[in-house]
Amino acid sequence: MVTRYQLLKKLSTMLPDDVLVVASIGNNSGFWGQLRQTEADLFHVTMGMCTPTALGLSLALAKRKVMSLDGDGNLLLNLGTLGTVANQDPANLTIIVFDNGNYLGSHKEEPGMPTASSGKFDFAGVAKGAGISSSSTVSSVEEFQKSIETALSKRGPHFIAAKVEALDDDRPPRSRRLPDPRENKYRFASYIERTEGVEILGGGLGKFG
Amino acid sequence: MDPEKAKLVVDGLKGAGVNFAVGVPDAQFIEVYRTVAKDPGIHYVGAANEGEAAGIAMGAWFGGRKPALIIATSGLLVAMYHVARINLLHEVPILVVIPYRGDLGDPRWMGMYQKTTEPALRAADIPYRVVNRSSDIVRVIKECNESARAWLRSVAVLLTEEALW
Repeated sequence: MVTRYQLLKKLSTMLPDDVLVVASIGNNSGFWGQLRQTEADLFHVTMGMCTPTALGLSLALAKRKVMSLDGDGNLLLNLGTLGTVANQDPANLTIIVFDNGNYLGSHKEEPGMPTASSGKFDFAGVAKGAGISSSSTVSSVEEFQKSIETALSKRGPHFIAAKVEALDDDRPPRSRRLPDPRENKYRFASYIERTEGVEILGGGLGKFG
Repeated sequence: MDPEKAKLVVDGLKGAGVNFAVGVPDAQFIEVYRTVAKDPGIHYVGAANEGEAAGIAMGAWFGGRKPALIIATSGLLVAMYHVARINLLHEVPILVVIPYRGDLGDPRWMGMYQKTTEPALRAADIPYRVVNRSSDIVRVIKECNESARAWLRSVAVLLTEEALW
């Protein structure tokens, strides 16, 4: 099997700069922030909220590609969102779930406690059953690369279940500080205002406006 | 629910500039959900649970929409982790609209929401207004939304049975 970091490294070489990335808390944010940390990245999106946030973003900006870097425990907390994604059918959304089958242990010396996906669970099967027809499972860099090429070139939504090693033995040193959520809000929103011509942060003047 | 009162809620949302709504319907507010879902000026997303709904609303805000999260008092409890995180850490302004159950005239089993709703909002540092008169619905929704946008923080409107039924 492959590690999460190997796949993220590959993704960082393939992703155009203007693709909006929503990364879940923990190592998805931590590792992605070492590889690509631009104004187009929203980090630290918490348990159960990563793919829903990416969904809302993709619906608001239908012509902009949006990618959710989700985790197995994170997505399992709000698994119903796959049904919502299917119903809303955003052509511009790709969901990648890095499925290491365990909670908390990925940065330790041994795996943590198992998630529901550590047994018989089939993320791609669930996504397909929910109505996301472009759903696949990958477990190598080559398969992952192919699935990302498809996601970037074909109509979505796309769902990619990336089966990764339980331990992140090749985790990168945390040499770059990630923005805190409030700092990230201003950076991300300002970038979208500038590149999409929408008003996000401004306009709220209350009774003095 | 009186369809005219539902219309007041939707008029308030539209008057406030809300163009994106997410929620999980409850029986008492169903006319509001139906009216919002049919409105061509509002993109309505029916979520599977209220925490998911809060996340969708946050994403829509980052995309330039003016989102409202329309949830029940029970749904607020389901969504609390996400709502608190959105308001306290990300500081994203979402207008939260809640039919306030547990007030005078409600069945006994609704009473728990009188004990949980306002403390939960205070815990998440979300300012709120309680609306008791239908004539105040439109104005208060609009003012709460303007405050959310001005403060870049979430604000809630609690609509009591007196105002809605």
